[in-house]
Amino acid sequence: MPTLIVFRREVGQYLTSPFAYLIAAAVLVLTGVLFNRDLVVSMTVKPADPALVPSVLSFTMIFFAPLLTMRLFAEERREGTLELLLTAPVSDSSIVIGKFLGAWFYYSLLLALTLLYQLVLISITQTDLGHTMSAYIGIWLYGGATLAVGMLFSSLTENQIIAAFLSMVALMLLWLGDQAGDLTSNIDVARLVRGISLQGHYSTSFAAGLLRAEDVAFFGSVIVVALFVTIRIVESNRWR
Amino acid sequence: MIEVNNLSKRYGTHLAVERISFKAKPGEIVGLLGPNGAGKTTTMRMLTGFMPPSEGKASIAGHDVVDDSMEARRSVGYLPERVPVYPDMTVRAYVTFWAKLRGMRNARASVDGVLERVQLTDRQHTLIRHLSKGMRQRLGLAQALVHNPPVIILDEPTIGIDPQQVIEVRESVRALGADHTVLFSTHILSEAEQVCDRVLIMDKGKIVAQGKPAELRRKLQPGATIYVEIQTSATKARELLKAIPGVEAVEAEGNGFVVRASKETDIRSEVSSRILKAGYTLLEMRAVTSSLEAIFLDIISKEN
Repeated sequence: MPTLIVFRREVGQYLTSPFAYLIAAAVLVLTGVLFNRDLVVSMTVKPADPALVPSVLSFTMIFFAPLLTMRLFAEERREGTLELLLTAPVSDSSIVIGKFLGAWFYYSLLLALTLLYQLVLISITQTDLGHTMSAYIGIWLYGGATLAVGMLFSSLTENQIIAAFLSMVALMLLWLGDQAGDLTSNIDVARLVRGISLQGHYSTSFAAGLLRAEDVAFFGSVIVVALFVTIRIVESNRWR
Repeated sequence: MIEVNNLSKRYGTHLAVERISFKAKPGEIVGLLGPNGAGKTTTMRMLTGFMPPSEGKASIAGHDVVDDSMEARRSVGYLPERVPVYPDMTVRAYVTFWAKLRGMRNARASVDGVLERVQLTDRQHTLIRHLSKGMRQRLGLAQALVHNPPVIILDEPTIGIDPQQVIEVRESVRALGADHTVLFSTHILSEAEQVCDRVLIMDKGKIVAQGKPAELRRKLQPGATIYVEIQTSATKARELLKAIPGVEAVEAEGNGFVVRASKETDIRSEVSSRILKAGYTLLEMRAVTSSLEAIFLDIISKEN
């Protein structure tokens, strides 16, 4: 199963890379600090937000996803290993899918670590677990979509910095789509713009405890389209 | 083992490889010789399944590189010019990864074997980033050998390593010939001469000459050439040598002369007997074989 072999190597790379641990530390510190503040506020002003950690990630993944995925193909290109991968008896799609699943798996581990905060929350207050679960499912899919976009840009260049920068810009645009909708007075256009933005499928549904098929389908299709384009880009290495 | 038939590769309007054909038998070491940009790497990339040919057919161990690409790729071990490594992996993990990706189920024994063969067993748990260039080259070879493919393709494997290691790599390539078909590219002619059973000379995308190194030399060498050093004045020596039948040219070189005779004439006995007859002393006489280098440059300049 070539996909599994590529997947295992990628996971191994994440688990032995100091940089991946740095990102994990940054995510945990950031969410930890904000979670703590929310707890303090919840004593007097408002109840604790069950979707707090996922909502923090919904913004920060714009930066973390490119950093986690910039290596995936850019490094293979720079080191020349892409040429060996493309001459191995495996299909291009199994390479791309294996790498994507590796990144998504590492992200899932990270996400699982933040469940600790939920344990803290459960032990001191009554929280809506359904709401939390919906937000986590949402951010898991959301994260997968941002990682897929990050990998797409990584396949375009051998420079990791450029890859990360381009995918940050792309994700930022996808994220801002939510705001861009406000620029027009035409409600249909606004709805359309919102319909293709990352936030539009997260902030008012998953984050509010709402699990909707259209949002799952949206993130699912972002992943599928990004993987498809990446496979084509990787394949195009054969034609030049 | 390798069969190439009218293979061409076009990049846009540029023809990188033009209708080349050749065959390699099992156990044969074939050298692909040519200057940079002659189309050697492109040829190899088509054979390894990295890029499809624009025209023509090629097969590896009976598997067409386009129609039966997966089987063809499984039958090849490939070492690209720049050794591709994952710096953050250990030597062993790296070799195991390629073994598994090429469909080996139980890779442990063959990984052990191949690490032993390239003398990296004691380094198997080292991160690749800490390896020297020569070790990386051997690791690249290990990667190409680990799935025991019938055909091994090496793109300029002796570039950028020290002379001692060059000799080692050449020896390992020679040793590979025992049970693999090896296609090996180089732009160093003496290397092709030492290592290969057969040499294909490529220039501008075409095969301009092919044959055994010795055959090529015999076929293309302009005539027998000897170096003679005589203890007498230069003018007298030159006169004497010029008078010998069959001699076409006499050129001074160092303390002696390079004498070129027409093809198929052995002038050596005539030279020595005439010198003795004239009462001079013969200090040195040796055959000057033109290296493949000279032949190669000759062919290429004729092409232009």
